[in-house]
Amino acid sequence: MKVYELNKAKIPVVKINDKLEEFRGKILFPKKLALANEMLSRVKLPALEISK
Amino acid sequence: MNYPRYEYSAENELNIFEFESIGKKGNITKIVQYTEMSIKGYFNLGFGDLDFKTREVNDEITTNNGDGQKVLATVVSTIYSFTGKNPEAYIYATGSSESRTRLYRMGITNNLEELKKDFYVFGLRNDEQFEPFIVGEDYLGFLVTRKK
Repeated sequence: MKVYELNKAKIPVVKINDKLEEFRGKILFPKKLALANEMLSRVKLPALEISK
Repeated sequence: MNYPRYEYSAENELNIFEFESIGKKGNITKIVQYTEMSIKGYFNLGFGDLDFKTREVNDEITTNNGDGQKVLATVVSTIYSFTGKNPEAYIYATGSSESRTRLYRMGITNNLEELKKDFYVFGLRNDEQFEPFIVGEDYLGFLVTRKK
């Protein structure tokens, strides 16, 4: 990919940061994850057709 | 993306992202994490401030660094990176409080036109039904997935 294409891309070029490996496998937001799981377990998940 | 955003970095799997908020209170390290939920293919988006002493991430703190719009635009931007690697993923986000959920809503609203080009965007209404995201509506949470 050329530089101008990189700059226009919606997906930014992501630098890999080895320091973040310390968090891998850890759930950093356990309360929020539990809340999200609880919430989505009881709701009807959306059908994609309705937003087309 | 129309709004300015910070550059960010990620670990190898592109599940955890880091960027620096730069504002009136100084430099604050932000962490964004996508965690797979109980429902296969669904991921919870969490983000908060990294405490350098404890190495813990706090998503309940109110930073007031004066760059909220840029921070939210950056968080939204990580969705592009995450779904670049996980194109089938559904991403669910909700705040740790009503005020933070409103912040999320603002972030989506500000970036909605861009987001809608590439993603389906839903809001979870108070009656626990999802609907396509409507600007100005109150929601309990938000769900996005990439258009095919």
